[in-house]
Amino acid sequence: MKVIVHRWNAIAQWRWDVGQDGDGPDEDSEEDLCGICRASYEGCCPTCKVPGDDCPLIWGKCSHVFHMHCLLKWIATPASKSQCPMDRRPWGTRKSR
Amino acid sequence: MATFSSRRLTKELVALREECPAGITLLSTEDLKSWTLSLELLGESLFKGEVFALRFTFGSRYPIEAPEVVFVVNDKYKAPMHPHVYSNGHICASILGSEWSPVLNTSTICITLQSMLASCKKKERPEGNDRYVKNAPLSPKNTHFLYDDDSV
Repeated sequence: MKVIVHRWNAIAQWRWDVGQDGDGPDEDSEEDLCGICRASYEGCCPTCKVPGDDCPLIWGKCSHVFHMHCLLKWIATPASKSQCPMDRRPWGTRKSR
Repeated sequence: MATFSSRRLTKELVALREECPAGITLLSTEDLKSWTLSLELLGESLFKGEVFALRFTFGSRYPIEAPEVVFVVNDKYKAPMHPHVYSNGHICASILGSEWSPVLNTSTICITLQSMLASCKKKERPEGNDRYVKNAPLSPKNTHFLYDDDSV
């Protein structure tokens, strides 16, 4: 079956709360991209198909943010020495924000 | 995992085609596995006027794993005469080995290597170059380098 969407009414949009000030998304800003896969936080990691709760972000105690799946792939390798890719400090996940 | 690397490489390629760092030019990108870029130093340095070529080879686990990066050595290009660059093009640089991070990319690697060359004070080969080159594995990724010099 082929469905053609002619019209839609957007009623809401979501964004991860990455603790940035200012209103309105700053498109293409470096800060809005996962440093590992270079895809936006609101997009999903390259192994997922759908953004949202199934492909969440992960916050480090060092304040750096990544797609959780991307970061876990890195931390799972011995080469990572369990360090944050950005500042090489020992990775610690921030529990709440 | 293949899509992981190809998706990021596609993004990098778009950015590089739009704008390369100063002194860097894309030479060939036949596919998403191997790219060649030329590298030269702008400004005063021991390598002024010389043009080198870098070959990047990306594995399916890039950027979780570092790419293989070597200076091209053929009829047209030579490896720079530098204490961290072997005459076969292999580079001893910690960011390509134990200090790799997945937030590094083609562009930042090129810039780091430019600055490695720029800070060179004496054009010479690494100690034991001939011995290394004679026995070197095809890929420098199979070499266990010891990084002991932070000055250049």
